Amino acid sequence: MSTSKSVSSNSLSAATSGLLISRVVSALFGLSNALKHDQLLSTPLSSYTHLKEGIFLFKNGIDPYSGGTFRHSPLLLALFSVVLPESQKYASLLWTAFDFAGAWALVSIWRARQNVRKTSRDTVVAASYLLNPYVFLPTLALSSSSLQSSITLLTLKYAAEGQASPSLFFLSVLMHIDLSTLTLLLPILLLLISDPQSHLASPRPLTSNLRRTLPLFGEFVLYTAVLSVASTVIVGGIQWIPQTWGATLTLPDLTPNTGVWWYFFTEMFDHFRPFFLMVFSVHLLIYVVPMCIKFQYDPLYATFLLLGVLGTFKAYPTLSDPGLFFSALSIFPEVHPYLRHPIVTALIHLHAALLMPLFNHLWLNTGTGNANFFYASTLVFACGNGAGLIDAVWAGLRIAIGKDTEGYVVVQE
Amino acid sequence: MHLNRTWSTEVKNIAGTNAYGVLASPRGPRNEAIVISASWLSRTGEGDGTLNLRGVSTVLALARFLKNYSLWAKDLVFVVSDGYLDGMHAWLNVYHGAQLSSRYWLAGKKSTSDRTSTDLKAEPLELTSGVIWTALSIDYPGHSFSHLGLFFEGLNGRLPNQDLMNCVQRISRGTGGVPVTVYDHLEWQDPATSPSELSFLPSPLRHYPGVQDFAHRAKIIARHIGYQARGRASGVHGLYHKFRIDAITVFAIPATGPHGFHALGRIVESSLRTMNNLLERLHASFFFFIITAPDRFMKIGSYLPSAILISVAMMFRGLQCWVDARWHTDQPRSEKRDYSTWFSTKSRPVVPALAAMLLTHLLGAILFFASRSSWFLGDQKLYAPTFALAILTVPFALSQIPHPRDEITAPFWLVLKAFNLCFASTVISTITILNFSLAALLAVTLGFPLTLSGPSDSKLLSRLKCLFYVFLASAWLFLHQETREAIWNWEILSVWFAPFVCLIYTPLVLQAAIVCVLPCS
Repeated sequence: MSTSKSVSSNSLSAATSGLLISRVVSALFGLSNALKHDQLLSTPLSSYTHLKEGIFLFKNGIDPYSGGTFRHSPLLLALFSVVLPESQKYASLLWTAFDFAGAWALVSIWRARQNVRKTSRDTVVAASYLLNPYVFLPTLALSSSSLQSSITLLTLKYAAEGQASPSLFFLSVLMHIDLSTLTLLLPILLLLISDPQSHLASPRPLTSNLRRTLPLFGEFVLYTAVLSVASTVIVGGIQWIPQTWGATLTLPDLTPNTGVWWYFFTEMFDHFRPFFLMVFSVHLLIYVVPMCIKFQYDPLYATFLLLGVLGTFKAYPTLSDPGLFFSALSIFPEVHPYLRHPIVTALIHLHAALLMPLFNHLWLNTGTGNANFFYASTLVFACGNGAGLIDAVWAGLRIAIGKDTEGYVVVQE
Repeated sequence: MHLNRTWSTEVKNIAGTNAYGVLASPRGPRNEAIVISASWLSRTGEGDGTLNLRGVSTVLALARFLKNYSLWAKDLVFVVSDGYLDGMHAWLNVYHGAQLSSRYWLAGKKSTSDRTSTDLKAEPLELTSGVIWTALSIDYPGHSFSHLGLFFEGLNGRLPNQDLMNCVQRISRGTGGVPVTVYDHLEWQDPATSPSELSFLPSPLRHYPGVQDFAHRAKIIARHIGYQARGRASGVHGLYHKFRIDAITVFAIPATGPHGFHALGRIVESSLRTMNNLLERLHASFFFFIITAPDRFMKIGSYLPSAILISVAMMFRGLQCWVDARWHTDQPRSEKRDYSTWFSTKSRPVVPALAAMLLTHLLGAILFFASRSSWFLGDQKLYAPTFALAILTVPFALSQIPHPRDEITAPFWLVLKAFNLCFASTVISTITILNFSLAALLAVTLGFPLTLSGPSDSKLLSRLKCLFYVFLASAWLFLHQETREAIWNWEILSVWFAPFVCLIYTPLVLQAAIVCVLPCS
């Protein structure tokens, strides 16, 4: 039995490394040009072409934020105007490197959660991130949302390992790239004052003192302030704020994407717009406190669930946002037996993954469909993400009750 | 105003020359255009070589006539294309600056050294115009005509906007006084004749109007499915659809009378005025229809559910298999109601099942590349049976895929069947919007066989079942002409029917074959 197991794990890692090599190769050759305009893979806030345009303007002494097309953070602008090579090949390499950093971070989180140095499941965890098509297609499209996923995982890695400063620094970088990740602040602070190990099976009230989060919060504010000042210095003014953070809140660009916001606001009468913008933004926040209270004994799981909320409901999502959520599911193997409908979720995702590019094509290329088609398919996608999220919440709570007892059914938790 | 330019292309080692002219719009900004075209060869017999002489003369005469009017808000582009489909394909691609084709086609049994020289080439156009919105292709091979037949199916199952068809039909009946039919079907004209397909029916039933009407409609739909499911264009108009141009072919059905040039000219002129009045694109909701009679159509709501229901049924069957694999029932051993002996759960081998599916699709890709290679097309009689035999070994090889065979693991075949059905169902319901005929055909060819797959207790029966599925998966290899045409359509016109069959259909049926040869327990 043990020999067969080692043989199968050997063949598994061989297959995995084969797939990884093919991934790197496909990142290097071709594909990027075909994918980088795909609306599923990059949004106006994360598109590579917009980033390049911004860098070009910046290098030529024109304020990139004056035109209304460039909405990336000044940090990315600074980083890439120094580091980013003109050649797309190097860019592909850089993006792939970020993906590998993300996979490494995910494995580190998994090890920290198990509190061991090395496990036999490490390969599976890494593969779940690197081979997830929702994660690697945006990477091939050079969308900055993949960078965001990697930075999220790095934040969580340092938080899980108890290193507060790097974690909070990465979190403030993350917030500069995308304002909506602010929702992760509270569970990460909780994670820093408790431990990342799984307590899902044995719920208990939070033992550590909540006051300990205050200096950590102060540190986060400090980093954010420093980065904001740095951004202002880079750009030479505060015009970046409405163009980056403001875009997440006011949705100026209604280019279609996989999320649920754009269609709603194309159909909206102008005088309702501010109200519903507020509703949609606040809606993201209302999950934070309940999730953190309910899962106070396991803040890493609360963070994971909030990643699912972001992937479903945030303003400018790409495929990599729900992809991050589903890849992260692999570090919680203890809840897998309690998932109620994994195959239904998987099938909804299969349908959505086929229908979204198809309906996008029918609407924008062949012209036999219209916006409603694509929106309907993004709703299917949202249903798939919602089903995954609800199932994860259920399984995370259900595990505390233990195995089924004859003649009893869990009705409510 | 009316300029000609000659240029040449090579398709199937054919060099041709298209002639075209642009009538600049006297009223508009010249950023929109309408095309009136005639191909040199008529569509009679799907381009069997009949010349479209009167169609070409109609276009020339119209060009001369229409330039006397100042009402055109859109440019009119007159095109006389060489050959049947090839000339117009080249012209349209060059007009839109698209790649003619990155792939090349080896015609006949030339040696491979000729390959590069058969790459498609076309000269750039000198005259340009705006975005083409609509197009009419005129096909008038006889010396007079009795009816106008409308052909509308485009490449990859794309249909033109139904409003365009309705307009031409109304104008033809009203302005031109010419009756309109679908394709070149004329039987419905004469109630005395009954279609030959009904000869098996007893005479009173055969001449019953309802039955006859049904037969006529069924014939039209069958022909529609024949074009649409294979992604073929029913005429030159089909090439336009790729570029978001609504186009139909007006086919003057050869007869001894009573209509001629004058009637056709009036109809085309009036249709052009109608198109000229378009202020925006035709509405997106009129692309889904099935024409059943010249003045009847089925709306999407009445035909779409048929395929969707079958696919939903397959999905439910797949989910049922999935649940069955999980739960294992034992006989109750005692009077005491001890549920734990009744039901026990098993683990399901998900990874081997997914691996088997992935491998079949990879083999499908290999099959596709092999069957578009020159040596396969060069000697199909030899290679088709070879490929079929190779396919026959696949289920037996893949049934050896390592999977746990113990008491606590669910039977592998049940899990594989569950995934197979769920994936087939997803494919069918996704294709319905893209190409309904193909989806309906798949619902029939996949729906029943895949649902009924499963190993039997007798080994012989299992093998016979497997043989049946392999036959179902590979029978297309023996349709020599059909295969060649499908591959030509993919190479030149990018019709994805051939890759679809190799990469999706054959692997799905092969998975059912694997299900049959797996051990039963």
